[in-house]
Amino acid sequence: MPPIVKATNLTKSYSKGIFALDNVCISVEPGEVLVVMGPSGSGKSTLIRTFNGLESFDSGQLNILGITLEGHNNDERNIHRIRKRVGMVFQQFNLFPHLSIIENITLAPIKVQKKKKAEAEQNALLLLSQMGIESHARKYPSQLSGGEQQRVAIARALALKPELLLFDEPTSALDPERVNEVLDAMRKLAEQGMSMVVVTHEINFAKEVGDRVLFMDSGKVIETSTPDIFFLNAKHERSRKFLNQIKK
Amino acid sequence: MGNSYNYIKYIKRVAFSNALDSIISLTILSFGISALVNLFKWLVFSANWSVVSLNLPLYLFGSFPGDQLWRPGLWISLFAIFSFITLWGPRWSWLRKSLPFLWVSYAPLGIFLLAGGFGLSAVESQNWGGLTLTILLTSCSAIVSLPLGIALALGRQSTLPVIKNLSSIYIDTMRSLPLIAVLFFGQLLIPLFLPVGLEINRVSRAIIAFTLFVSAYIAEDVRGGLQSMPKTQKEAGEVLGLHPFQITYLIILPQALRIALPSLTNQAVGLLQNTSLMAILGLVELLGVGRSILANPEFIGRYIEVYIWLAAIYWIVCTVMALIARHLEQQMTLDKKDF
Repeated sequence: MPPIVKATNLTKSYSKGIFALDNVCISVEPGEVLVVMGPSGSGKSTLIRTFNGLESFDSGQLNILGITLEGHNNDERNIHRIRKRVGMVFQQFNLFPHLSIIENITLAPIKVQKKKKAEAEQNALLLLSQMGIESHARKYPSQLSGGEQQRVAIARALALKPELLLFDEPTSALDPERVNEVLDAMRKLAEQGMSMVVVTHEINFAKEVGDRVLFMDSGKVIETSTPDIFFLNAKHERSRKFLNQIKK
Repeated sequence: MGNSYNYIKYIKRVAFSNALDSIISLTILSFGISALVNLFKWLVFSANWSVVSLNLPLYLFGSFPGDQLWRPGLWISLFAIFSFITLWGPRWSWLRKSLPFLWVSYAPLGIFLLAGGFGLSAVESQNWGGLTLTILLTSCSAIVSLPLGIALALGRQSTLPVIKNLSSIYIDTMRSLPLIAVLFFGQLLIPLFLPVGLEINRVSRAIIAFTLFVSAYIAEDVRGGLQSMPKTQKEAGEVLGLHPFQITYLIILPQALRIALPSLTNQAVGLLQNTSLMAILGLVELLGVGRSILANPEFIGRYIEVYIWLAAIYWIVCTVMALIARHLEQQMTLDKKDF
């Protein structure tokens, strides 16, 4: 099977000399969980935001699920095609505060996939029960805790039956005691074979769930290793320094 | 007993704590009391309310033909009924759900009831007047200028330079003109621009002028709401594969309008009060009726009674509007917490 994400020499620079992405080459295989780590400003978020066209790039090539994106001047329809098949979960949840939980989840299936309302709601309730929050279906986002909101956000992304899920620091905005309920939900998804790219600082999650760890700094990919090697025996000096920093 | 004692102590401390305070308090008190006494004396002994009581139909309906008065009467009653239903919050959900539709259809219904047609005899717009005309001007202008204002606000945010610049120029021009100038423009110049043979009456011209003016202000209020929306809401819609148009009307606009609601209420109340400017331009709306009654030799010099009466009517209608707006605001925020 071909990789579902293939980036070749992906480059993006903001102003003279400052690279957000510097010749990034990576690939993600179907069913794989790729964990992206690195200090802040290293380009992790920028990288996964290029995967669904939220962020453009200057040069290089990107192939998502067989659809090719070039730097600029992309066909909007191609980006749209990708977005229908790739889900994303944000750091700040970004639920729609004026819609109830179930409306948040059914909005895209009804409006984008043109599903019937009853069918979409049934599927949404199923997803909510998988996330363990089906009792909140008729509530509004502001009535839920951060961890619950993030699980709703995951359910919302899953409602479109995506082939790839992107997570942009999904637990960074949560209270410490709420982190695990979200990580558990993600772990379950990984066990079901979902392909995921996860930007996170959660070492335990990376160790237990990640198939590979991608380490970035200043827009460059420093190393890509399996978690065993990365956390015990990182190949690169820069990676070891970073790991020492976050273990303190 | 302890309470009233505390109350006296409180007044003593606040108003009579030293000689200067006492003098100031007594002066204000004596002025206030004498004003109230005089007002009461005037209201009961000197005022002649016949100028109001004899002309009640005029204040309400202007010179609408006597045998057709049920039409404006029904329309005004519907305003009261709709307001009542909105504020008391009926238990039947079908009625609650149809309320927005009822309010939207209120203005077109008014035009139909006043102008006639479809089985009702036609009544010329010269005969429309009084409170009926005031509410007609307000409701028709409001119902058209709200969508127009939203469109202008969205236009101003557009990425297409032509649309963006046209909207900006329109909004800024309208906001730099005094309303009375726009109303004069409507009455005097619109007929010149129209092709020969096509004529529109003074009421329609007034509604067009009010709509052009108010929509620019509404556009700015809505823009305030749009700009307070975080970019992340748009992104959340984008990654779900929603079309830009769907993102605007399903996600951004509902939230932005909620934020803009208090200032939109302001515009509605201001619009109602500004319709009184049309009295200068020859429409006999509520203020115009007052002026024409005062010109009648029979009621000469009864200014104070008439203007107090008019102020009371404006006050009642504006208060009802403010109450409905507050009710709406509360509902919109309560929705999220009352479960």
